[in-house]
Amino acid sequence: MSASRVIAGWLPGLADDEVQWHALTFGTGPGQVQVDVPVLTPGQMRALAGRVRQSAREVLQRLTVSDIIEIVDAAVARLLDPADPCRREAERFLPAITGYDAEMVRLGLASFLKTFRAPQLHRFVAEDFANPKVLDEFQPAAKGGAVRAFGPSLLAHVWAGNVPALPLWSLACGLLVKAGSIGKVPSAEPLFAGLFARLLAQVHPPLADCLAIVWWKGGDASAAGALFAEADTVLAYGSNHAVDQVRLQLPVTTRFLPYGHKLGFGMVSRAALDTQRAPATARLAAHDVVRYEQQGCYSPHLFYVERGGRVAPREFAQYLAAELANLQRRFPRRALALEDAQAIAGWRQSAELRTLAAGGAELLGGADAAWAVSYSDGPQPLAPTAANRCIQVVAVDRLDDAVALVEPHAAFLQTAGIAADPAELFRLAGLLGGAGVTRIAAIGSMTAPEAGWHHDGRFNLADLVRMVEIEQSAERAAERFAPYAQEDLG
Amino acid sequence: MDASQPAAGAAAPVESLLAFIAQEGCSDEEFDAMALRLFAHQHARNEPFRRFCQGRGATPRQVRSWRDIPAVPINGFKDLTLSCQPPATCERVFMTSGTTRGDVKGRNWHPDLAVWNASFRGNFARRFMRGERRIRMGILFPDEAAMPNSSLAHYLQYAVQEFGAAGSAHYVGAKGLDIAGVTEALAQAERSGEPFALLGASYSFVHLMDELAAGGSSFRLPPGSRILDTGGYKKQSRDVDFEAFYDALARTFGVPRQRCINMYGMTELSSQFYDDGNAVVPSRKSGPHWIRSRLVDPLTGGEVAKGERGILVHCDLANYNSVTTILTEDVGVERDGGFLLLGRAEGAQAKGCSLAVEEFLKAAA
Repeated sequence: MSASRVIAGWLPGLADDEVQWHALTFGTGPGQVQVDVPVLTPGQMRALAGRVRQSAREVLQRLTVSDIIEIVDAAVARLLDPADPCRREAERFLPAITGYDAEMVRLGLASFLKTFRAPQLHRFVAEDFANPKVLDEFQPAAKGGAVRAFGPSLLAHVWAGNVPALPLWSLACGLLVKAGSIGKVPSAEPLFAGLFARLLAQVHPPLADCLAIVWWKGGDASAAGALFAEADTVLAYGSNHAVDQVRLQLPVTTRFLPYGHKLGFGMVSRAALDTQRAPATARLAAHDVVRYEQQGCYSPHLFYVERGGRVAPREFAQYLAAELANLQRRFPRRALALEDAQAIAGWRQSAELRTLAAGGAELLGGADAAWAVSYSDGPQPLAPTAANRCIQVVAVDRLDDAVALVEPHAAFLQTAGIAADPAELFRLAGLLGGAGVTRIAAIGSMTAPEAGWHHDGRFNLADLVRMVEIEQSAERAAERFAPYAQEDLG
Repeated sequence: MDASQPAAGAAAPVESLLAFIAQEGCSDEEFDAMALRLFAHQHARNEPFRRFCQGRGATPRQVRSWRDIPAVPINGFKDLTLSCQPPATCERVFMTSGTTRGDVKGRNWHPDLAVWNASFRGNFARRFMRGERRIRMGILFPDEAAMPNSSLAHYLQYAVQEFGAAGSAHYVGAKGLDIAGVTEALAQAERSGEPFALLGASYSFVHLMDELAAGGSSFRLPPGSRILDTGGYKKQSRDVDFEAFYDALARTFGVPRQRCINMYGMTELSSQFYDDGNAVVPSRKSGPHWIRSRLVDPLTGGEVAKGERGILVHCDLANYNSVTTILTEDVGVERDGGFLLLGRAEGAQAKGCSLAVEEFLKAAA
């Protein structure tokens, strides 16, 4: 098979030969994929912004939320159909582009996409709006008067990272609040967003001009600036540095919603550490580690394991190691670039040096294993690993002790996976919420947030809208001007 | 020299090592023999290193060639006390500047500097002096009194002592770079027609050139003049940076790029690598016969195929008191007779939305 080529992006109103293309190549040899991404001039970007804003006003804003949910559901149904050409395109190219194992991509896509079916999307809207009809029309407000939610007329998305299909999150948010959307794909995974835009246009052709998918080279301020000047709301994902670079380019009046990188961790209580449950919990933990090679904001980098159970923390580390070894057979780790290998080697070295410097530390998994578990008998602060299946297991006397270890990193907290009994779950959740955690999931579900979750603790839809209120005074005053008004002539 | 029967626990073979350094080149067998002798010594005398070797299943019985000696990551110089002789009895300790992990510095103890200095002298004479006995030097770095734990401060001061002609001086003091002083020295050298050598940290050159450019001055140093810069590559990872840097050196000082030498050295080593000028970048680096390098996959430690990028491992026989063999964080690629230094392997950037180590450290700093 020779190297293949695919075009990314979605540019309503622009023919392919009107724009310049930049080739991004992924992988080597026969599996190599070339993805052509569009490079727009500032003028083209401005024109695109105008077109998208205009179409959203004429098409998207005239649909009801339920209409939109139906359309997104139909597009997602096609992506869930293994025989669908778009689905096949995603399955064919995404593993090569991201380097993730093909089976992992297939399963990951399915579990992610199924949270975008109609019932889940309705739930998503209901999470943020007690009365979803406020997105369609003025609704009576509890305090009196009426209220309606308006989405941005043009919403810009700046995506980051290579976790497949992640742009679907903010794209769906934009659609549900009826915003015209222009999304900038990351060089690490430029394909999926454009593919989804194409699908939407096939499912409901009038939507074709309501969104656009673009790309620009990192640091190219001219195309980015043109878009940021047009958008009234900007969503940005990425490192604090990258997100800050976006912020610096925005007019002060633009609403800015940053989503920085996060650091996930897990907690295993002694209640989960008997001889039956401990191996099962370790298996689930290993899945969370392996899913997308810990590149997700919700991926775990460390598990705090409580002492005093039937199974000791060190044994839990060994179970986890065994499960990672098993999963390597099922979902082999991708080939590593030298920089990744160096990062893992550096992490392994520190773990190894800890074992030489202090008792009670251990590094499980040899240099030739595609995973590594670093075990510490004493408390360790929360810190990222080199990802790619490097995980820390830290023994603590009580899980409460771990709260103090994660709290200093509040700005980077999001997901905590917890295996504990119900009373402990709620007690720990209270402590962790206070420490900065925004999402508590079961171990094994850390990497699969449920539909309607509040990403980084925010109201994903409510943050996007403006509430427009008709106050009672206006309503009362209007009554007086009604043709049927009875002037009190008395 | 009977190196095939290393006596465990014996004193460091300093005399043999000095003789080895003094000889003209060596065979593969001679290099291996000395490497194994030092490995046995370090294994016997250096407890943290012995435990490190145990972790890798490497003992003096199994190690047959310098390539088999376990390479200690440079972080080991921070976390472990890698010294055969008790540190308190060592005359000098060189420390890293400690930029990557805050205040944790890597330390390399030297019982005395006889071997370090011998390693420096012959190599510097060949690669930088190139037959010249003495040359007037301008040093763009603090002296040893100001930075007693800097191996580079010692390197440059010792260079002045051994190879500097009258009028050699340091131009970085407590108040920073003495622009007026160095400008005067350069102008005087230009007038005198005597060759002049400017040596220092790469970033000092960048600073000096900025200042000179701001004042609109440049020089045409006399024929035979030369430049030595070091240490700048950690921030300059792209060829275009090298191009611009050496162009600017040539333009500012009138020293052709082939006489602009870059030295690659490390606190964790006792020997240095040089290129033969930087007319073409990146330039090929090579060391003296008592140091050998290989390029490895950092995870497996296995050597990469020739021509592939890998992480540099150096086996420096002059490092007799700590460990001979170190795993760096520098990316290189093998070339006949040496290697190209391609910069530091930056921690991998986050590919997804999980926090990367670098960003985490930056936030914690």
